[in-house]
Amino acid sequence: MLDITGLTRRFGTKTAVDGLSLRVPAGQMIGVIGRSGAGKSTLLRMVNRLTDPTAGRILFDGTDVTALRGQALRDWRMRCAMIFQQFNLVQRLDVLTNVLVGRLNRRPALSSMLCMFTAQERALALAALDRFDLAETALQRADTLSGGQQQRVAIARVMLQEPSIILADEPIASLDPRNARTVMDALRGVNRDGITVLVNLHDLTTARDYCDRIVALNAGRLVFDGPPEDLTATRIRDIYGVSETEFAEQAAEAVGATPRFVAIPA
Amino acid sequence: MTPDVAQWRQRMPAAFGVSPARRAMRVAGWMAFAAWLVTSLWWFDFTPQRLWNGLSGLGTIVRLMVPPSPGELWVEILKGMAESVAMAFLGTFLAAIVAVPLGLMGARNIVTNILFRFSLRRVLDGFRGVDQLIWALAYVRAVGLGPLAGVLAIFTADIAVLAKLYAEAIENAEKKQAEGVIAAGGGRLAAIRFGILPQVAPVMLAQALYFFESNTRSATILGVVGAGGIGLQIAERIRVRHWDEVAFIIILMIITVAAIDFLSSRLRRRLIGARS
Repeated sequence: MLDITGLTRRFGTKTAVDGLSLRVPAGQMIGVIGRSGAGKSTLLRMVNRLTDPTAGRILFDGTDVTALRGQALRDWRMRCAMIFQQFNLVQRLDVLTNVLVGRLNRRPALSSMLCMFTAQERALALAALDRFDLAETALQRADTLSGGQQQRVAIARVMLQEPSIILADEPIASLDPRNARTVMDALRGVNRDGITVLVNLHDLTTARDYCDRIVALNAGRLVFDGPPEDLTATRIRDIYGVSETEFAEQAAEAVGATPRFVAIPA
Repeated sequence: MTPDVAQWRQRMPAAFGVSPARRAMRVAGWMAFAAWLVTSLWWFDFTPQRLWNGLSGLGTIVRLMVPPSPGELWVEILKGMAESVAMAFLGTFLAAIVAVPLGLMGARNIVTNILFRFSLRRVLDGFRGVDQLIWALAYVRAVGLGPLAGVLAIFTADIAVLAKLYAEAIENAEKKQAEGVIAAGGGRLAAIRFGILPQVAPVMLAQALYFFESNTRSATILGVVGAGGIGLQIAERIRVRHWDEVAFIIILMIITVAAIDFLSSRLRRRLIGARS
């Protein structure tokens, strides 16, 4: 159970996340939607502590995440795995080593520095890759893979962390529709294994198709929280003051993706 | 999570480490490297004791340097410094100009004649193989003592390096932009002028500025062999053991190089960062 209360983050005079409270029960798949600058990324980055909150608290199963430091913080980061829009793989390392990065917090530092992973760990990484049909690419450099493949490598890396939560920040914004589907299927798959998934999405349709619950942000505040079927087109207009099509265009533009719906002027 | 190690090892043996042959090669490589290292150390009698003794000698020099003093001939020192900077400027400027056409001719995507490009590049490689100091010694014999020899030495040594860097920058330039110019009816020269040059000009300029900085540093040494600049002043003062004045010159050099570094980085940012 992830329990966020009064979470706030200011950058200078700008408030990215503004007194946000949210409870996430274990095993849920939650889609976070909102326009550019709504605070979606900042929210996820604060949960992983890549960004520190200005105020508020994040509790996970009773532990105050915002107070963690050193080894405890690294342990927490291992448990709340992060997936990025640009995959954040090390391009010049091979796929296998990229996946093994997910293991670093669990193993002796010196042998890690020398890239001496055990056979057990290597087999684990290969099995994770195989789950996403990527075992054959294990020895290629990461930059030889397509975007969709790289994002699945990133998910395999996350799986080796054996996380309780996965935080995915626009995981499909840089992918074409077909790859987007495989990546979302992969996320939904690992969610079915019992891992909580918190995913930022610019595309409402994807959010409705894949998530148990949708949370909408606007200017850092929570403006909607409920099941996908409640987030109707009328509701979108109420919240954001624009039609769903316009919302989709703006959100897609903000992350540099092509919107799924393109408004055709009459 | 307990994977079947044996099965994976069978399916992808390469993922579990390199083959014995590769490993033997690697070990042999590292052993050769270690042997070379140890031999070099032994050859030059590289012992901790000698280093320690040298260090105490260095300590004496440093003590004699404090406090730094401009001495009586400080006007000469300032003149020498100005001369060094001017030499570096002139040499780098001329080399940067001459290197542009040479770089274009050495670039694969501009000159398609392999034989011409290959011979040009080998000639440039030859020039690059000779150090600035050697050029300076040669020019001092040819044109006599003084800054002209230094300028020519910087010029000759830098042409080859800059031309190679320029050629590489040009080869990395995007073809599409030049294609756009060709498609609009532009000729080959126009394609270079409008399609390639705008892409590489900032890189060229940045490199020329770096070379100006580094030449200001190396121009100080040219004076030691009589090719003009501050180097002569340093060499003379070291000969008569006026270490306090040497320290003054060193500080002056550091300040000058830092000032040039500061100015050139601002200039680079202004000229290159003009996006948006």
